[in-house]
Amino acid sequence: MKLRVTGTLALLAATALLAGTACADGKVGIGRQETIAAKSGKAKTLAELAKMYDSSSCIECHQDKYDEAQKSIHSRSIYGTGRTALTIMTTIENGLMEEPYSGVKSPKDVKVEHLMGCAKCHLPQLADAEDSVAQELVTTLYDWKAALKKKDKVAAKKAEDTLKSVNIGCLICHNRNAITHKWQDGYAKAGVVYGSKDGDHPSDKFPKMAVSPIMGEAIQCGQCHGMGPNMELDEPTQCCTSYGSYLWAYKSEIGQKNCQDCHMKESKLGHNIQSYRDPGMAKAAVDFKTEAFGYYWRDGAQIRPKAVVKVEMINRAGHSIPDG
Amino acid sequence: MPVPQQLGRGDRMGRGPYEKSGIIEDTGLPPGKTVNERFDIFYPLEEVEQNGKTITRPQAYDLDIEVKLWYVPFGPLGPKINDPFLWDEFAKTVSISKTGK
Repeated sequence: MKLRVTGTLALLAATALLAGTACADGKVGIGRQETIAAKSGKAKTLAELAKMYDSSSCIECHQDKYDEAQKSIHSRSIYGTGRTALTIMTTIENGLMEEPYSGVKSPKDVKVEHLMGCAKCHLPQLADAEDSVAQELVTTLYDWKAALKKKDKVAAKKAEDTLKSVNIGCLICHNRNAITHKWQDGYAKAGVVYGSKDGDHPSDKFPKMAVSPIMGEAIQCGQCHGMGPNMELDEPTQCCTSYGSYLWAYKSEIGQKNCQDCHMKESKLGHNIQSYRDPGMAKAAVDFKTEAFGYYWRDGAQIRPKAVVKVEMINRAGHSIPDG
Repeated sequence: MPVPQQLGRGDRMGRGPYEKSGIIEDTGLPPGKTVNERFDIFYPLEEVEQNGKTITRPQAYDLDIEVKLWYVPFGPLGPKINDPFLWDEFAKTVSISKTGK
């Protein structure tokens, strides 16, 4: 009898623990309700999404870092050089609209979940938005393309600016994506900027700062810079694979540097995170040695002069080059 | 570059993130490994009459060699198409002797 009572209590305790970890939306994890997304509620427009992760208040004290970041393609992650925007449209037309079970017959059917194959990295905060934002994004992409076709520079620039209004700004790395292991380290909280220090932060919107356990680690970048197919999606996508190459080809055999060492510190580019477009990065990444000489090659009675060109290349980066 | 496998199956290369899953091979430069390329380029020859005989000789004794390491993201070369990037280059004039046995 005594044993039976003990067993019942243990079961009740386990039930209470499980109930305590569940949120209103049915997702597990303690502290999820403290995130920016949970506090703000889902964005209904692109402007609301931009405002949710608005980094403009960072400029007041971190103008230099902000200016650096603006030079990086992270600051226009949906637009890119224009190719990214076009590739998202290709994904809609050649991917989603041709996939028989996607539920997308036309761009008007595209929802947030459909875009997450691209947005997982190009706009991770899209997960914190309603489907109306996905539609606004799609409409803006098509408006931009139509304006380009009509050579309407004003309309094209307007659409381009709208696409650039949502991006990988300060708060994506320093808040939303600052913690990968949320059950171990907790969910990133609204009002907290994550970096290398704990303490007060002189900002009305972000009065606290806290250490991100991964800010100086490769996994921070690896969240987006890819290991191969994104298996967590119903329809896996694949874009960047450099983090996979880093883990399995560089870290396991070659060296111990992380992404930040080369792309931010040694390059002295800081938050202007670049790759081959920066001459210094390109030069540091590949040793390119070439020699050439000529001689008369002979095979029996046949004499044919030839030039021999020997090329030796060593990739000094921490991942395969090129990637994509 | 990592040559992506279409939908993670079979022998076809995928294009676009929506159909790329997996890698068939990687033709790029692996980290930390030396990659060598060798090119043998024969001088163009011509036949000429010399002292009543037909002989074969090089059209020129100097060959301008250019080696360019390009990163070509996708498609045919052209600045408006794929924004290719010239990573490094080498140029040398290779000369061969004009006399000898």
